[in-house]
Amino acid sequence: MNTRDVVLEHVSIRFGNYRAVENAHLSIRGGEFFSFLGPSGCGKTTLLRCISGFVQPSEGRVLIGGKDMRNVGPNKRPTALIFQNLALFPLLSVAENIAFPLEVRGVGRKERRKRADELLEMIALPGTGDKKVHELSGGQRQRVAIARALAAEPDILLLDEPLSALDLKLRQHMRTELRAIQQRVGLTFIYITHDQGEALTMSDQVAVMNAGVVEQVGDPQTIYNRPKTPFVASFVGETNAIPGAVMNQQGALVTLDTALGPLTGQSAGGRDYQAGERCTLFVRPEQLALADAPPATNAIAARRVNEEFEGSIRTLFLNANGVDLRLYRMNADASGPALAADGTASIWFRPEHATVLPADPSRSG
Amino acid sequence: MTRGLGGGLFAFSYALLFFLFLFGPLIIMVITAFNSSAFPRVVPWECFTTDWFGVLVRNERLMSGLWTSLAIGVAVVAIAVPFGLAGALALADIGPRLRAGLYAVLITPILIPGVVLGISTIVFWSFVGRGVGASYDTVFYNGFFLTLLGQVAFIASYAMLVLNARLQRFDPTLTEAALDLGATPGQAFRRILLPFMKPALGSAAFITFLASFENYNTTVFTILSGNTFTTALASKVRLGTDPSLSALAVIIIAVTLIGAMVSEAHTRRQELLRSGKAGQSRFYANPLSRLLTHPGAVLVLLLGVTGFIAWSASRVDANVCRAAILQEKQQLQERLMQEQRNRIQQQAPAQPATPSPSNNPSPFGGAFNPNSLAPPVQPAPPAAPPPSNNPSPFGGAFNPNSLAPKQ
Amino acid sequence: MAALRQLWSTIADRHGLGVAVFIGVAVLFWVLVLIVLPQLAMFDVSLRHNLPRPEIGGPADVYTLKNYSYFLFGNGALNTLDIGVLVKTLIAAVIVTLLDIVICYPIAFILAHSATGVAARMMVIGLIVPFWINDILRAFAFRILFGATGVINGIGQALGLWSSPIDFIRADVALYAGLAYTYTLLMVFSIYNAVETLDRNQIEAARDMGASWWRVHWRVVLPVAKPGIASGATMVFMLTAGALAAPQILGGPSNLWFTQIIYQWFNDAGDWQRGSAYATILLVVCLAFVFLMMRVFKVSIGAIGR
Repeated sequence: MNTRDVVLEHVSIRFGNYRAVENAHLSIRGGEFFSFLGPSGCGKTTLLRCISGFVQPSEGRVLIGGKDMRNVGPNKRPTALIFQNLALFPLLSVAENIAFPLEVRGVGRKERRKRADELLEMIALPGTGDKKVHELSGGQRQRVAIARALAAEPDILLLDEPLSALDLKLRQHMRTELRAIQQRVGLTFIYITHDQGEALTMSDQVAVMNAGVVEQVGDPQTIYNRPKTPFVASFVGETNAIPGAVMNQQGALVTLDTALGPLTGQSAGGRDYQAGERCTLFVRPEQLALADAPPATNAIAARRVNEEFEGSIRTLFLNANGVDLRLYRMNADASGPALAADGTASIWFRPEHATVLPADPSRSG
Repeated sequence: MTRGLGGGLFAFSYALLFFLFLFGPLIIMVITAFNSSAFPRVVPWECFTTDWFGVLVRNERLMSGLWTSLAIGVAVVAIAVPFGLAGALALADIGPRLRAGLYAVLITPILIPGVVLGISTIVFWSFVGRGVGASYDTVFYNGFFLTLLGQVAFIASYAMLVLNARLQRFDPTLTEAALDLGATPGQAFRRILLPFMKPALGSAAFITFLASFENYNTTVFTILSGNTFTTALASKVRLGTDPSLSALAVIIIAVTLIGAMVSEAHTRRQELLRSGKAGQSRFYANPLSRLLTHPGAVLVLLLGVTGFIAWSASRVDANVCRAAILQEKQQLQERLMQEQRNRIQQQAPAQPATPSPSNNPSPFGGAFNPNSLAPPVQPAPPAAPPPSNNPSPFGGAFNPNSLAPKQ
Repeated sequence: MAALRQLWSTIADRHGLGVAVFIGVAVLFWVLVLIVLPQLAMFDVSLRHNLPRPEIGGPADVYTLKNYSYFLFGNGALNTLDIGVLVKTLIAAVIVTLLDIVICYPIAFILAHSATGVAARMMVIGLIVPFWINDILRAFAFRILFGATGVINGIGQALGLWSSPIDFIRADVALYAGLAYTYTLLMVFSIYNAVETLDRNQIEAARDMGASWWRVHWRVVLPVAKPGIASGATMVFMLTAGALAAPQILGGPSNLWFTQIIYQWFNDAGDWQRGSAYATILLVVCLAFVFLMMRVFKVSIGAIGR
């Protein structure tokens, strides 16, 4: 067992009657970049605070490196947390901040300074040790917070939406940088975010959470292409949802009777459906395409409602028999099939690009 | 700005009037400190003098009270500030349901009349003292000890308010971050929370000291037969006044103003240095003028100016002027007596000789003996005997020994 | 109990055992030994006879209500004097409180929304300086101001407004002015703290919609200022009703403040029992009055001191 492994065994966390986390059961391999992705209030921060030791699980256990962490305080765990607001100490200098974990361990002043300077070198901020925290820019503070956490020599680094306060360009830059640091130091990174772009670009594994429940764990491609629940399908990336009832199933392919006629998609996880079951078919806007001639399967007659130009792509807003659809076209493909002059179009998608899921259990009961 | 809403002319004139109200009495008191008239007043102006400062310093009761007050003040700070900190910390960590209750409990001592606090303190500790069979020379009947406890009871609330305000701006994730980075809770408290609280601890110490030094209502009971500066001052004012009290006010106002200016210089400098604007200012570029912005330099400068003014004022000899005034008064007296004699000679009915121009009470000037002089409008002591139709609730008020409970 | 244990473990986890012990001991000692027990002891003593020391604890030391009945009935008929003094004290405290609200509200508003930069700083210093000067000296200043040969009489007579000196002290003018003066700072900062939170855009929006300035204050500013006014009023009222120094120095010879009666029973008459009873009466009546007012104006005690 790797000392950098983290295992959550049926962890539930309650505050009074409020269930913040419900039966989280998963394992994170040492050295992985693991993200918890979910909307705000889904319990991901609570779960992170549970791993770092600020919150005790009401049920289940947290194992780090195979050891049960019950009754181990946050200062005794091999974890370091990077707070959403970074929590840099405003009254200490940058070097004192970074050397804080060493100071509380009783490391001598000279040795502390040396280590702080090394870490500043590593995060490309040499010579800033004597500055005060408020003299640094947002991105610099970010890196100081990472250096301070690394100075504690943790096995696991926990990051609570550390990029959310940065502007777009810096955020994209820091994504690459975080990933690079993680690969260099080889620690387990557990990353909390509500931004699917961050989760998908940086992570080895992603856990999607909703309302305290981990809905799906998998690598970014699987999460995006093969969502297991309607929530995952609609939360991660843009998607078109078309409700319907099962007509028949042939192997992995399920055909639904929808307002747009019969449509065929892939059954998620090879699940078997009964005829008449209420389901939803999810298809990504980039998987919808305009067709020259009406195709054999999954043909939809739609009407143009609106159009948006977004640089590399163009979004077509369509309506087909009362169902709103979105379609992305690469602007480079301008020579392909086009809308008819009256704004009607024939569109289609490949059955293996669509996912059929049981209709939202909260609605169907 | 917010014109017609208190901006503009109305705001300006109102503020002017308001500060006239605030400072008028103080200014007048300051002026009376330098008038040689034995009763503190501005008109008639007699002579410029600094003698009242000497009279003040020679007042042994006040001066011994001063030392008691300073000692009590320091002890109160040493206890009330930690108590206030404990209260503020408890408030910060208590659950939301209990917080309102605890806040009410900790704020009540401010609302309880000081008189009540003083009485309850001596009653309680004499109760305890009797319980353990202590004699009158023990700590339970010690004015210093009782005053300390009585004052801490409510002054700790002031400290709590100041510290609570600062603590609310503390980001609790800083403590969590310290713990997460391996600090023990004690280390996090000492290294992160306490340094953050330092400025508020300073102002809390200042406010508690001032509150202790100034306190009268509680102290007048708890000090028992002793005296603090304020109780000595109060009995002096009640028994009769002379301008040495104005002299005291001058000293306090001067100290206050200097303190305020130095602290202002300190905050301005900190702000400038922090915002980085100091680097752009030419004033900060020159090392000499930069030194002048240091609060220490400001303090030395102000002290120097004050000292010089005090020194030159003390060199003014009021004796010549005073002799002239005395002569004037004697002449006036002469003349009045002469007039009277003339009147008596002219009119047959003899009248008592009372020279009393109403706008100048005590024309015989207390210039000879300021301390013995009772002010012309001295109110009777508040403990005046009650009207006779009353069943004497204050009977024997002046004679505690003879007092027995009246049934 | 469970909540207290929860509090204890929260503090111990966050700040360490040593700090938790310190907080527990300090708060307990403060609340219990310095506040609650003394009040109880005072109440206990107020229910006893004034006995010579050797008899205390003896057979004659029994509980009695006579100290309270004395306040109500004196030695027979209704004790109009003492009750009258209490009522007068309360009314005077209310007057002083209202006076302070009226004086301080505009200045708090100006400080929060009109003054900027240096002017605001100077105003704050100007407010604080008089507060640092001893209570006794402040009262003394008002005696100089309002005395028979004081500045006010001097000016009044010089201008020919009145011919012979007016006895402002006997008329309690000096006392009310002195008390109002003493607590201006408390009132200004209480109201300021509340008014400062008001977004200036709200005022401007209201002005924009054509509201007159008094309507803006009445409808927009005053509701925001209310908790501050309540907080300031509570403190000023309690401090005024419990004032001792100012009435002793500025009070007219025939006018008593209730605290002065307490003082006389205690120090001059040496009757701790009756003094305690009177102090209890003052405490209960004042707190009851404050809580009643808070109920009427719908403010919570949490607003005080903020």
